[in-house]
Amino acid sequence: MREDHFTNYQSFQEALTGFTSLCRHHELKVGLSHTQEAIDLASHGFAKDQATFQYALKALYCTREEEFDAFSYCFRTFWNKKKHRYNHTISKSKTKTNAGKTNKASLVMAGFSPKGEKKEPNEEAKQVTGASKIEALKKTDFRHVSQMDATLLDQIAEQLLRQLNHRLKRKMRVAKNGPIDLRKTIRKNLSHGEELIHLIKKNRKKDRFRVILLLDVSGSMDKYSFFLLKFIWSLKSHLKNIEAFVFSTNLIRITEFIHQDQIEKAMDDLSLHANNWSGGTKIGECLKSFNDLYAKRMLNGKSITIILSDGLDDGNTGQMRSEIDKIKMRTNKLVWLNPLKGTQGYAPTAQGMQSVLPLLDNFETAHNLESLLELENILAHA
Amino acid sequence: MIPQVQQLIEDFDRLGYVVEEELATVLLLTLNLNKPLLLEGPPGVGKTEAAHIISSLKNTELIRLQCYEGLDAHSAIYEWNYQKQLLAIKLAENEKLSTEQKEAHIFSEEFLMKRPLLKAISSEQQPVLLIDEIDRADEEFEAFLLELLSDFQISIPELGTIKAKHKPIVILTSNRTRELSDALKRRCLYHWIDYPNFQKELNILRKRVPQFEETLAVQLVRFVHYLREMKLQKAPGIAETLDWANGLLALQFKSFSENDIEKTLGCILKSDPDINLVKREGIATILEDIGA
Repeated sequence: MREDHFTNYQSFQEALTGFTSLCRHHELKVGLSHTQEAIDLASHGFAKDQATFQYALKALYCTREEEFDAFSYCFRTFWNKKKHRYNHTISKSKTKTNAGKTNKASLVMAGFSPKGEKKEPNEEAKQVTGASKIEALKKTDFRHVSQMDATLLDQIAEQLLRQLNHRLKRKMRVAKNGPIDLRKTIRKNLSHGEELIHLIKKNRKKDRFRVILLLDVSGSMDKYSFFLLKFIWSLKSHLKNIEAFVFSTNLIRITEFIHQDQIEKAMDDLSLHANNWSGGTKIGECLKSFNDLYAKRMLNGKSITIILSDGLDDGNTGQMRSEIDKIKMRTNKLVWLNPLKGTQGYAPTAQGMQSVLPLLDNFETAHNLESLLELENILAHA
Repeated sequence: MIPQVQQLIEDFDRLGYVVEEELATVLLLTLNLNKPLLLEGPPGVGKTEAAHIISSLKNTELIRLQCYEGLDAHSAIYEWNYQKQLLAIKLAENEKLSTEQKEAHIFSEEFLMKRPLLKAISSEQQPVLLIDEIDRADEEFEAFLLELLSDFQISIPELGTIKAKHKPIVILTSNRTRELSDALKRRCLYHWIDYPNFQKELNILRKRVPQFEETLAVQLVRFVHYLREMKLQKAPGIAETLDWANGLLALQFKSFSENDIEKTLGCILKSDPDINLVKREGIATILEDIGA
C-alpha cells in the first residue's frame, strides 16, 4: 500500500478512512468502527490540535503498548509530510526470515535433520514383538518414528490427549465436592415449606492452573523437538491456560503460534519466527531471559512449569541452577522432562542437570508418547 | 493543547495528581465519548488513583470491583440474601400464600444484595466504575464483561433486565500479568502508564509530601530510579517512593545516609531477594553513583 498523505483526500472523513487503512496495513487491529469513533472524536474538538489529535487517536487505535511505535509511524507518515522510520518489528520479523533459517527450521519441523538426512527407520517399534502397531508406536522413541508412522502417531496422540483431558476434568469434579447452593436449594424446596429436603450443591469451579512449557530446540534435541512441539500444540486444545517458549541460545515465546487452529499453519508461522532452531544451548541465559521478562507475570501458586530439555548445556551451569532456583520460588510445580532419561543406561551426569535435580518436583522422561501421557499424573495432582 | 485538556491537567494537579498531556487527553476523551478506558502499566504507577481522582473531580461515587482469580459474575453483580429469604419463608409459613406468591416475595428487590456492577448500573447519578486488576480475573469473567460494557444492562432471571440509568464512567486497570482478549480491548480506549521520568516523579513527591526536604527528595528519586534499572523481582512504583518519603519523614531523618537507607529499605523493596541484591550491590556504591 502506498503511504498517502492526508492532503490526497477530499474530506477529513475520507482522510480518516485512509489513515485507518494505513494503520491496518501496519497490522493495527482497526476497522470501520474505529474510523467512525475517530470522526466522533474529531467532532468533540480533539482534532483542533495535532498533539491532542494524536494522543486521542492513539488511545482509540492501539490495544497494546507494542503497537505504539507502529501507530506513531503511521500518524507521522500520514498527517505530516516528513517520513520517519520506526522499528516495524512485525514486518521486520517476517522479512528477517532468510531462506537458510526458514529451511533449517522447516526441515527440522518436517521431521528431517538440518543436514537433510532422513530419520532412522522405526527399528524400536519393529522390535516390540507381539504388540499391536498402536501400542508399539506409543512406546517408540521419537528418534525412531518414520514419517509414515508420524501421521498415525499424531492421530493416536490426539485421541489419547482428549481422553487425558476428560479424565483430568472428571478427577477434579469428583474429588472436590462443592458447598451448598442456597439459592437453588431454596427454590427447589419452596413447595416443602421451611423444610430443606433437597440440598443442591454447587459444582466447584474447576481449578485453572497455568502450564508454562519451555522447549529446548537446540541441536542436541533435534530428534525430539519436532514431536515435542506437536505435543505442545495438541496440549493447548485441552488446557486453556498455556504458555509456550522455545529456547536454544535465545528464548522465543511461541504461545501465539501454537494457538493456530491448524498445526501446519502453526509450524509455518513458527518457522518464520523461531530463528533459534538447532543452535547451541545456553539454558542458563535463556532461563534468565524468561525470569526477567515473563516469570513475574506468568508464575504464581497455580502455575506448573515444564522444561523439556536434555539438559546438555554449553553455558554457565551455575547460572542455570540459580535461574531454576528463581523459577522454583515462583511456580507451584517445577517439572523437567528429559528425553534422554528414556534411553537405557542414562544417568543425569551432565553437570547442569545434576545441579538442578534437587530443585525439581518431577524429573521424568519424554522420549515417546506413552511417557508424555504420564504428564496426566503430574497435572492431576497440581 | 486544547483548553479542555489544559483545564483537566490543572484540575488533576489541584487534587494532587500530576498528569501529563497525553493521559489528560485520554481521560478527557473517556469522559466525552463515554467509552471505557483500559489503563495498563506496572504496579504502583497511579492507575487506580486516576479513577479516584476522576470520581473526586466529577463529585460522584466511585464503585470499585477488585478482580481476583475465581471471581464469578454473581460476586460481581448481585446475590440474594439467603438468610433473610429463609427467615421470610419461615414467617410466611402460616400465611395462606401460594408457592408463586412466596417466590415473588422472596425474590424481590428487598432481598437483593447489589454487588459493584449492579450498583454501578442502577446508580441514580453517573458513577465511576473501577474494574481493578482485570488481568487477575478469569477469561469467563472477561467474556461476561464484554456484554456489560456493550449494553450496560444486566439480566436477573427473577426480576428482569435492568438497564443503566446513567452509563457509568468505566476505568479498567491491568498489570498485564496476562494478555486481555482483543474483544475486550476493542471496546476500550487504551493507555499505557509507565514509570514516570525523574522530573515527573520529583513533582509528584513535592506535591504529595510537601514537607519533604528538596535535596533529600532529589536524592530519593534518583535512588529509586537507580533501583528500577536493577533487575529486581518487584521494581518500586510511585506508591513506594511516596511511602519511603513518608517513612523517612516520620523517622525524622535529616540526611540520606547509608545507615538510614538500610533501615528503611523495606518501604520500597518488598522481597528478601531484592533487599539482598541491593545490599550486595552496595548502598554506598549506589549513593556514589547517583551523586548523593
